[in-house]
Amino acid sequence: MDLAKKNTLAWIAITLILFPILLLLGILMRTVQANGLSAAQEWFYPFMTLHGVGMVGVWYVGAMACAERIIAKYTKPSAAISTFAIVGTTIGVVLLLVCVLIGKFAAGWYFLYPLPFKGNWPVWAATTFLLSITVLGATWLIWSLDLLRAIAQKYSISKALGWHYIGGATEPDVPPAIIISTVSLLACVACLLAGVTVLVLFDAELIAGVRNDALLVKNLTFFFGHVLVNLSLYLGVAVIYDVLPQYCDRPWKANKIVAISWNSVLAIVFMAYFHHLYMDFVQPTTFQYLGQIASYMSSLPAAVVTIFGALALVFHAKMRWTLTSALFYLALMGWAIGGVGAVIDSTIAVNSKFHNTLWVPAHFHTYMLEGLVLMVLGYYYHFVQENAKLPESWGFHKVILSMIVVGGYGFLMMFYISGANSVPRRFATYPAEVAHGASYSGFAAVFATVFFMGLLLYAIETGKRWLNVRG
Amino acid sequence: MRKMMLIWTVFSQLVSIAAFADVSDGQKLFQQRCISCHTVGKGKGVGPDLQGVTQRREQAWLHRWIREPDKMLAENDPTATALLKEYNQVPMPNMAITPEQADQILAYLANPTAEAAASGDANTAAGTTSEATSPGGSSQAHDQAPTFATRGRTQNIAFFSFLFIALVIVLVFFWVGSTTSNPQTIDMKAAYKLRKVFFISGSFVAMGILAITMSKTPYADALTTPDNVIYATAMQFSFTFSNEPVSSAQELSTVSPISSLEIPRDTLVEFRVTSLDATHGFAIYNQQGVVFAQTQAMPGYTNRLRVRFSEPGVYPVLCLEYCGAAHHMMRTSLVVK
Ligand code: HEC
Ligand code: HEM
Ligand SMILES: [Cu+2]
Ligand SMILES: [Cu+2]
Repeated sequence: MDLAKKNTLAWIAITLILFPILLLLGILMRTVQANGLSAAQEWFYPFMTLHGVGMVGVWYVGAMACAERIIAKYTKPSAAISTFAIVGTTIGVVLLLVCVLIGKFAAGWYFLYPLPFKGNWPVWAATTFLLSITVLGATWLIWSLDLLRAIAQKYSISKALGWHYIGGATEPDVPPAIIISTVSLLACVACLLAGVTVLVLFDAELIAGVRNDALLVKNLTFFFGHVLVNLSLYLGVAVIYDVLPQYCDRPWKANKIVAISWNSVLAIVFMAYFHHLYMDFVQPTTFQYLGQIASYMSSLPAAVVTIFGALALVFHAKMRWTLTSALFYLALMGWAIGGVGAVIDSTIAVNSKFHNTLWVPAHFHTYMLEGLVLMVLGYYYHFVQENAKLPESWGFHKVILSMIVVGGYGFLMMFYISGANSVPRRFATYPAEVAHGASYSGFAAVFATVFFMGLLLYAIETGKRWLNVRG
Repeated sequence: MRKMMLIWTVFSQLVSIAAFADVSDGQKLFQQRCISCHTVGKGKGVGPDLQGVTQRREQAWLHRWIREPDKMLAENDPTATALLKEYNQVPMPNMAITPEQADQILAYLANPTAEAAASGDANTAAGTTSEATSPGGSSQAHDQAPTFATRGRTQNIAFFSFLFIALVIVLVFFWVGSTTSNPQTIDMKAAYKLRKVFFISGSFVAMGILAITMSKTPYADALTTPDNVIYATAMQFSFTFSNEPVSSAQELSTVSPISSLEIPRDTLVEFRVTSLDATHGFAIYNQQGVVFAQTQAMPGYTNRLRVRFSEPGVYPVLCLEYCGAAHHMMRTSLVVK
């Protein structure tokens, strides 16, 4: 087996080890919020930070690993840089574990300035955290740039963005997965550069004592965070565009509309992040309105072109329903549902009631847990099964899928109800006014446990094939 | 709903049996309210290790301190001031602890290793932590979730629109999925036509909603002037109301704070909200426990939040931006007359 494929196997192993651990931290948080396990309360915020940074990171690299495999079908990314990405990510993860588990660092996943300097953790913990993010950011920047290089070598960036389709040409054929990956990787470079700027500003304050502007850093932070999460999903969608047709026995080709839609996504995604600052009334009001318009507009190409296209692909198709195709299909559904939750919250008038309530984790957990996670898990299974070709049991796979759907959506529903009922996000325990938040947390912990068990069954199915391929 | 409540009762009993077996009410309270800043015998946290504190300090001092540390600091109590200095100027927040709860906590602190049975006499007081009525705290407990009538119009519209659209999405996906049991070739031309219809109607719907909602933003406009301006300054982990602006921690100790803020109903109040350390949130809840209005408290900036209260009563204010270990306890309240 070549090195690139070995690397994909390594990513599968890393994901399937880290995800269950991070998931258990999530269940633990819900249990503390339900007033169980009070002894773990002082660990709530450190674990919340580990869970948040860990999950965002795991699913970003998971999506990158799948996209890399797809891109490698058409052009040749560097195997050495692919290995470098694994090493760099591992170092970053170790640093993260150290600062949270030993230093009790707990500034939350987007470490909003100036909290890292204002917490009750030692300075070295904050420094180690910043170092960890720097290592991860630098590694991922190099990884993205190499994938872009590989794409540009074969297609040129303008063709890879499908501009020739927009100009009316139908040749040369560029696969939609390449167009979407290019859009995502360009967004990735932009957001990582914003992230690097944030880190430089933090370092300037840490080393030279330069005081920073909180509003500026918040803008940069959310540009980084918002774009990173969105592009991870786009990478997952690119993978679906490439792999789902194999299960539908129909082609899914790029054309003018697909090209226009993804180019507009690239333009819009950079402005939508303003919706994270609606409650900062000092932000120029033009940006606030721009944020709402961009958030609404960014959902149209996704819904009308990608979701509609996927449904048309499946409609009356000679479908081969397997764990992979079903996970992909459910993932698109989760992406759509989470998107609706997001668009509702991106309405300024609604945001003033929902900002920093559990509605926020509700919608982003929907498109991550029932969206991106299923895309990546679907592709991982596809990859190992294609190489191992072991016999499959659709009945057993339906059990796994049901647990993932029932457990996942039950867990999410508790977040949505809490958010609608004004229960704040990021509260280790709930004060009297919103004491009912504890009940939803209890139910959520039970549902999440069902999801967890479904995941273990999935891991057994994929693990068996992984071992078989590994030989 | 009944059934849900029943299931919940059983479940919460199970959880509490598992989590609190052999635990007194005082210990339970301590674990819910104090553990994020204090330990008993495991060293310093945000605040001091409380092992042996009942021997170190007088009972009456402790009793009052647990209930209203903010007042004692404001009165320059010498012990409190010295402690504040020792603990990097992080004040212990007022957590609306009732006198009975303070008794229970102190009983636990006096004898932290005792079995639950030993302090069993304290168990007759209600086991919940929600009947606080002290000035810094809220007036009502909301173990019950808001109902359709109290949830707030925006919340209801948002929540039920979400449920409806999500349901439509699920049904469409299941329907399309089910058509695969009957494979056919489909007419892509018709599909593209349908897509165009969706795109155009979708754009109109989006523009309609934008037009309706964008006029309802919470930003202060220059044309109206508020009847009343209140400065709200956030600092880990408390809020200070005042009639003058506060721009530094030193000023915070010289400015005269409004100890209990009263606002006449039906007047337009402008809160000028800022922070002296991390970013905090400033969210006013109404008496039904529903978010009423909010803004961020950001260091170096002042956000102007305008509100008009029509119903008299006590309005809790919670910090809604994560700001460190005691974020979920950072709170104040105001009274509308
Ligand atoms: C936000 C963190 C925080 C929370 C929550 C908190 N405290 Fe404190 N506590 C402190 C700090 C900080 C001090 C030191 C005095 C100061 O800086 O105001 C302190 C001091 C004390 C002292 C005096 C200790 C001494 O050595 O004299 C007692 C007693 C105390 N706290 C009890 C409690 C109890 C009981 C609770 C729970 C109801 C509680 N605290 C919750 C932060 C906290
Ligand atoms: C069943 C699986 C999961 C469970 C039980 C779970 C649980 C939780 C809980 C309880 C919180 C804190 C909510 C609060 O603010 O009070 C949280 C936050 C978060 N979760 Fe998850 N989660 C799960 C899966 C995921 C996945 C797949 C992601 C992928 C990105 C994710 C990313 C995050 C992030 C970014 C935060 C915010 C952390 C912060 O506020 O700093 N979670 N999760
Ligand atoms: Cu705060
Ligand atoms: Cu806070």
